[in-house]
Amino acid sequence: MSADYLASQLFNGLASGAFYALLALGLSVIFGTLRIINFAHGAMYMLGAFATYYGVQYLHLSFFAALIVAPLIVAALGMIFEVLLLRRLQGTDPVYGLLFTFATTLVVVNLMRWVAGAMGSPYEIPAALSGATNLGFTLYPTYKLFVIVVSIVVCALVWWFVERSLLGARIRAATENPVLVRALGIDTPRLITLTFGLGVAIAALAGVLAAPTTNVYPSMGDDIIIYTFAIVVIGGLGSITGSIVMGFVLGVLQTLGAVWYPPIATTLIFIVMVVVIALRPSGLFGRRESS
Amino acid sequence: MDRRLLVLLIVVAVVGLALPKLIYPIVAIDVLCFALFAVALDLLFGFAGLLSFGQAMFWGGSAYVVAILIQTFHVDGALALLAAVAYATLLSTVVGALVVRRSGIYFAMITLAIAQIEYFVAVQLKDLTGGENGLPMDSRGSFFGVHLSNDTAFYYLAFVIVALCVWLVIRVVGSPFGTVLRAIRQNETRTIALGYQVNRFKLATFVLSGALCGLAGALYALGNRLAGLEMIDWHTSGAVVMMAILGGSGTIVGPIIGAGIYQVIEYFVSKTPIGQETDLVMGLVFACCILAFRQGIAGGVLSLPWRKTST
Amino acid sequence: MRTTRVLSAVCAGIMLCAPLSAAPATAADNGPIHIAVITDMSGVYASISGQGAVEATKMAVEDFGGKVLGRPIVVDTVDHQNSATVAEAKAREEFDNGAELAVDLTNSATALAVAGVAKDVHKLAIVSGGGSSALTGASCNKYTYHYAYDTYALAHSEGTSVAKTGLKTWYGIVPDYAFGKSMLSDFTDAIAPFGATFVHSDTMPLGTTDFSTYMLAAKNAHPQVIALLNAGADTVNSMKAAKEFGLDKQMKIVVGLFFLPQVDTDPALWAGAKVADSWYWNQTPEARKWADRYAARMNGVRPGSIQAADYSSTMQWLKAVKAVGSVDADKVVAYLDGRKFSDFYAQNAEWRGRDHSVVHDMYVYDILPQSEVKEKDAWYKLVDTIPASQAFRPVAQSNCTKTW
Repeated sequence: MSADYLASQLFNGLASGAFYALLALGLSVIFGTLRIINFAHGAMYMLGAFATYYGVQYLHLSFFAALIVAPLIVAALGMIFEVLLLRRLQGTDPVYGLLFTFATTLVVVNLMRWVAGAMGSPYEIPAALSGATNLGFTLYPTYKLFVIVVSIVVCALVWWFVERSLLGARIRAATENPVLVRALGIDTPRLITLTFGLGVAIAALAGVLAAPTTNVYPSMGDDIIIYTFAIVVIGGLGSITGSIVMGFVLGVLQTLGAVWYPPIATTLIFIVMVVVIALRPSGLFGRRESS
Repeated sequence: MDRRLLVLLIVVAVVGLALPKLIYPIVAIDVLCFALFAVALDLLFGFAGLLSFGQAMFWGGSAYVVAILIQTFHVDGALALLAAVAYATLLSTVVGALVVRRSGIYFAMITLAIAQIEYFVAVQLKDLTGGENGLPMDSRGSFFGVHLSNDTAFYYLAFVIVALCVWLVIRVVGSPFGTVLRAIRQNETRTIALGYQVNRFKLATFVLSGALCGLAGALYALGNRLAGLEMIDWHTSGAVVMMAILGGSGTIVGPIIGAGIYQVIEYFVSKTPIGQETDLVMGLVFACCILAFRQGIAGGVLSLPWRKTST
Repeated sequence: MRTTRVLSAVCAGIMLCAPLSAAPATAADNGPIHIAVITDMSGVYASISGQGAVEATKMAVEDFGGKVLGRPIVVDTVDHQNSATVAEAKAREEFDNGAELAVDLTNSATALAVAGVAKDVHKLAIVSGGGSSALTGASCNKYTYHYAYDTYALAHSEGTSVAKTGLKTWYGIVPDYAFGKSMLSDFTDAIAPFGATFVHSDTMPLGTTDFSTYMLAAKNAHPQVIALLNAGADTVNSMKAAKEFGLDKQMKIVVGLFFLPQVDTDPALWAGAKVADSWYWNQTPEARKWADRYAARMNGVRPGSIQAADYSSTMQWLKAVKAVGSVDADKVVAYLDGRKFSDFYAQNAEWRGRDHSVVHDMYVYDILPQSEVKEKDAWYKLVDTIPASQAFRPVAQSNCTKTW
């Protein structure tokens, strides 16, 4: 096995990690404020991919326009969903949030199957990003590099926004002590809605990026969401840094694992999760949970 | 026991006895097995407050054990059922030891992910499990030499087994053990302070639930003469959660009603022009239930005021 | 009394649902004869089978005159939702309620499940959708025929056709489930006589969506042919990855299992790939004539091979029933076994008695780029015809333990 072959596989790992990182990040952002796990995250990822497909097909958007527009549309849907429905579950056991978004997933995925059929829709890599780029040691598909770069940039921006900006500080404060924050004159419900929208937008962005490389079909989010759950658990529930880092790390691990022993590819992440919760139940980047 | 609960249980039992006459016998068997599955899940969720999104690993895993033993090794049916329960017990002990330290959403996510491991292993052990083709059985095998090819006869055998299990669960939640579980659910910290080894109680509940889920899945596989991959799929774990909560979590009789209604709706919806949309229908119903009716059907009935003379 | 009323309401509710199905249809000898089309109506196979399969079966019944033995024929649609347990329960109910024949059975898991039911209740199942060669091998039985194609026939048609052009080094992309395993072993056998071998094959687990790892490995191995031995969304995803890494420019891409309606989902993606199938609507004038009648009923969509096979098998069965004067499966099987025929779908066909495989000529096609397609759905160019005797597993190699 040559070094440049392994290096190319490393890039493949980063590319699949790019999706995990975005999805895990979105999940963590939502968990951070709403304290619920959004089971419908995979469905939002799927909607992002379909929004791209329809936007390009019927509105003749360019792929780069879709990269902005599709997440906005899906985020808008998500925020309406939060305001009209999800909000009613505030104050109940967070488990009900998980169950409600699970039900939402069933509804959304099956509605999409009605609209689009189960088979999948075509979507090609945009011309500007097709072909290969010379990395010095090997030729590597340009589109995959694009995905890696976009994911890293978005992750960095969101990390800065939540962990370092003033608005991020308000969001974190609103989670810790909503009453106090409201007393300071900050509109907590609106903050929560916007954060939910942000999380959804990141998931949809992952969907847009996935559209050209995978089959676009209604249940495309079904499998990836469970990997994302495992990654979030490994990184530490609610830890933004943990989600991003572990997203990329596990993407690489999974790919290299598949090179070494293909049958391990689908289970490796879950096995890592089992080991992590046995040794460090609150996750690698998580704070010790106070019950 | 609450008299209303008793009345509901009697009604359910009567409907249960008449069921093979009312609907197609195999569907009746499905209702029965899912009823036990939902009761077992709810033992965990409704009483210990632990929501498992991975119970299909016991249901489906045991189904494969039964199918492999009967179809490939021609083992006696009763023995195969025992082996299936043993498998579920063993698996739930191992998994339980790992997961009972967590609770809430964490617990749900971890059980979901662990169940996926079994799913992928089942696909890869294709020589044993038939992979994506599943493992059809030529017959239900023989029980001490008696063949149970008649669906109605098998139903009543399963009915007795399920009834005994439900009775067991009622006894468990009514015992001091059940009282500790409720205490854990209401205030775990205080229960620990009272000197209880909380995790041991949770583990015992997890194992009992897993064993019963396994038994239910094994009966389901026998009833349908088939073990299939979709039995380990997370959609199945999700479906049984929906059944338990729709019917009324924490009431024992609720999950039975929930399973019955879910299966019956699925059966009749599948015969209509929107037949493929069962998941859509159930998703909508369940979403409404979570928003507006979290106590479920039985919970609703049981919370109605009882007439004065009964108090 | 309120509780009691609620209770009785709940009770009544449960009871109400029941009588709808309570009366099992009496399969009286003068009542209608039911044919159950057991298929996937809304999932991934809906376009290759689904409503089209139902319509094709209905066409056969209508063309036959709507009646046989003086009894009307009814076609029932049964959606198995791609679940073997659902398929098994519904097939049993159909057979109990007067169905004499089950057709289509798209996806192997449901086909194997229903084959088991047919064996149990002594009614006939004719599989045209599922492709597992176990149906005529380890799981063969008296009451199940395999009509359209199996993994052996696909591999031997396509393997022979490509290997005889002199391409010797093959690379396999194989899913780690039963279908992939049998495709790989069948392909290996098929290309061996031409001195061709698989230099390597990567086995990937079910649920793999990112195939770049394997495509990169394949590219590094420099084979002459890459065989995508997977199905459905996996084929789409692996094809996308293959093109992304430019494999289509370096080697021949062979797709193991493919159906015409799949081209529509992404014509640019599939152009240039080589596929095997049992039938194509534009290959003979008779085929075309039937396909046009079908298209008129299906909003202009041309049929795929499974739908044509459903028509053909239903028609064959009806003729057999008429000839023996009974719907009794044992009599129909006795009549069909060894019978030879040709129709618009199957050329040089035989109902093989040894293993209940219905053998016929198989075909290999190139998928055309859009620029060369002259009319709707005309995606294929016939490149090779493999005679029935070479395409299907020879009787001498059969691993069916004949128990009837």
